[in-house]
Amino acid sequence: MTVFRGFMTITRRNLPIAVMYIIIFVAIAIMAQQSRTEDEISDFQANSLDIAVIDRDQSTLSKGLSDYLAKYHNLTETPDDPAAIQDRMFYRDIQYLVTIPADFEKVYLAGQYKKLPVTKIPGSSSGFYVDQQVNTFLNAIRTMSSGGFSLEEAVKEMTEGTGDTAEITMADKSGHGGSMPDYAILYQFLPYVSLSILCYVLCYITLAFNNIDVRRRLLCSSVSGRQQNFQLLLGYLVVGIAVWGLLNLLPVILYGRSCLNDPHLPYYLFNSFLVMLNSLALAFLLGVFVTRQDLVSAVVNVVTLGMAFTCGVFVDMDILGKGIKKAAHFLPLYWYESNNRLLGFNAEFSRSQYRSLYTGFGIQILFAAAIFCVALVFVKNKRRTEA
Amino acid sequence: MIHIENLVKRYGDLVALDHLNLDIKEGEIFGLLGPNGSGKTTAINCLLALLKYDKGTVTIFGRPMTPDSYDLKKDIGIVMQNVAVFDQMSVMENIDYFCGLYVKDKEKRRLVEEAITFAGLENYKKMRPKKLSGGLLRRLNIACGIVHKPRLIILDEPTVAVDPQSRNKILSGIMELNRQGSTIIYTSHYMEEVEQICSRIAIIDHGQVLATGTTEELKKMIKTGETITIEAISLAEPELAALREFPHVFDLSYQEQVLTLRLSSAKHNLVRILNFLQEKNISFGQVFSALPTLNDVFLEITGKELRD
Repeated sequence: MTVFRGFMTITRRNLPIAVMYIIIFVAIAIMAQQSRTEDEISDFQANSLDIAVIDRDQSTLSKGLSDYLAKYHNLTETPDDPAAIQDRMFYRDIQYLVTIPADFEKVYLAGQYKKLPVTKIPGSSSGFYVDQQVNTFLNAIRTMSSGGFSLEEAVKEMTEGTGDTAEITMADKSGHGGSMPDYAILYQFLPYVSLSILCYVLCYITLAFNNIDVRRRLLCSSVSGRQQNFQLLLGYLVVGIAVWGLLNLLPVILYGRSCLNDPHLPYYLFNSFLVMLNSLALAFLLGVFVTRQDLVSAVVNVVTLGMAFTCGVFVDMDILGKGIKKAAHFLPLYWYESNNRLLGFNAEFSRSQYRSLYTGFGIQILFAAAIFCVALVFVKNKRRTEA
Repeated sequence: MIHIENLVKRYGDLVALDHLNLDIKEGEIFGLLGPNGSGKTTAINCLLALLKYDKGTVTIFGRPMTPDSYDLKKDIGIVMQNVAVFDQMSVMENIDYFCGLYVKDKEKRRLVEEAITFAGLENYKKMRPKKLSGGLLRRLNIACGIVHKPRLIILDEPTVAVDPQSRNKILSGIMELNRQGSTIIYTSHYMEEVEQICSRIAIIDHGQVLATGTTEELKKMIKTGETITIEAISLAEPELAALREFPHVFDLSYQEQVLTLRLSSAKHNLVRILNFLQEKNISFGQVFSALPTLNDVFLEITGKELRD
């Protein structure tokens, strides 16, 4: 097993790089986890805008609307003069102006209501926000009126109200408050580290063994080429499984029982195992293409970072553009991340979810096999031209 | 021990080996001498079954050599022209690795230590190859090739780009290996090295063996018995013509006041020529008389210098 031992000796030389990537992995995971917690706390905050209402109707309904809006926003006095209104809008003294025309109440009660004329900052989300509130008020008055309330009662109900608030909780499908568990976040970043460590370390080793002089020298030895290839393959698998084991140990160390008790743990393990296989295949392919040691780092970084960003390792998949998502379908990590989301967000799977999960596994296996075969074809061609 | 018969190797239209024939006996240091591109390395690669050849046969230890002849390969040590070691392993790890390709663990430690001592790498055991000088790197390459004490050692230009001190160490090491019982095939385009260590030599050019024999046998194959060089001032054409007519002189040149005469082997050649110059009152300075070298042999056989 000399070839295997040599493989391991060179692997040991690259251990500092592996340790560095694991530290990066843990740091990224912890940072991501913290930023996620802060996001959740500050997810929602109601905004109060500076708005104005020009009431030319002076009816119960129009006053009710003014009072209703005043509950949520700062209502400021504005003269009914287009020039003055334009000035105040320009200097952002007011961000939204609603003009209630004369006879509005009459028209509204007659069911001939058309949209109220409003002036707002073009394209602003705050304008849309107030639009919704105006519509909410008018729709509620209509609903209450048709339900037997008088206009005064309905307006009073809307402006004074009971002050009751509805409590909203997310549907807890995964058992983690509707969000992915922390260890699933760790698994989200895992492919980057697996790819980086394995591609970096194994690319160097492949390069060393692919050196034409070394290879010819090895072919002169009494160990058969088949035996040498077998030992190299064994080396690849041992390094791959060691990295896979180590990376899967981290979630257990960091999150303990919550991770171990997850019924999906075997799926997480299998999913990451497939990433490991793809990393090995890719490392082999890169080792065939890269011919100089000083290029290894650059090539590995481009490939791993590129793939990680495209497939939603660093960025949530929902944020990715449609085009990028489509392109990512042709990369194995996309299917890993899809499966990881499926596992993170659902405690129980429907039949179609199981199908998606197994499809993801199958596609990853096919990717690993395809990459490995492509690499073998290139190796064969390379050796034929050298002979 | 090694028999190569009618070996032909083509690279497209280029004929790298053209019906090459060689016989190497056990216990020899056999030199394969030829200029760059003459086919020495191709011959070695075919001999080791690293290259497929178009025609011919190669037998080693009386058995045909094929890529799968692992039992034969066990007894062959190879030192490639380019240094073939792992940059990420130390000197000792490299030697240990290559030793492990041939022998079992029990013997390995002793053999590795012996190879390190043999190559004079005791002080560099833990260093990486990249930190070694050119000479030390070549010595490491040799140590990796001979560590398993093979019966046959093939050294393909092992002294290229090596300083004189390391070169001497390498050459004396090769002779020591031969004394210990290994048969050696040594390729080089340095004729002095080949002349110094080889018991038999084959001169090769354009993939063909031009001549084979011991140094003396090769020298006897050519006309040149002696080359005389005299620093002579103002030699005119009549004196040069007279010198051309001297017995045994078959080639003469006079350039930048240096007279070079090539003569066939005979007694008193130098005395007769110096007497002639004295008689003609021609002043002369430095005088050299040299016996033929392998370069003369190569020059006479091919019409060109070995290092052209």
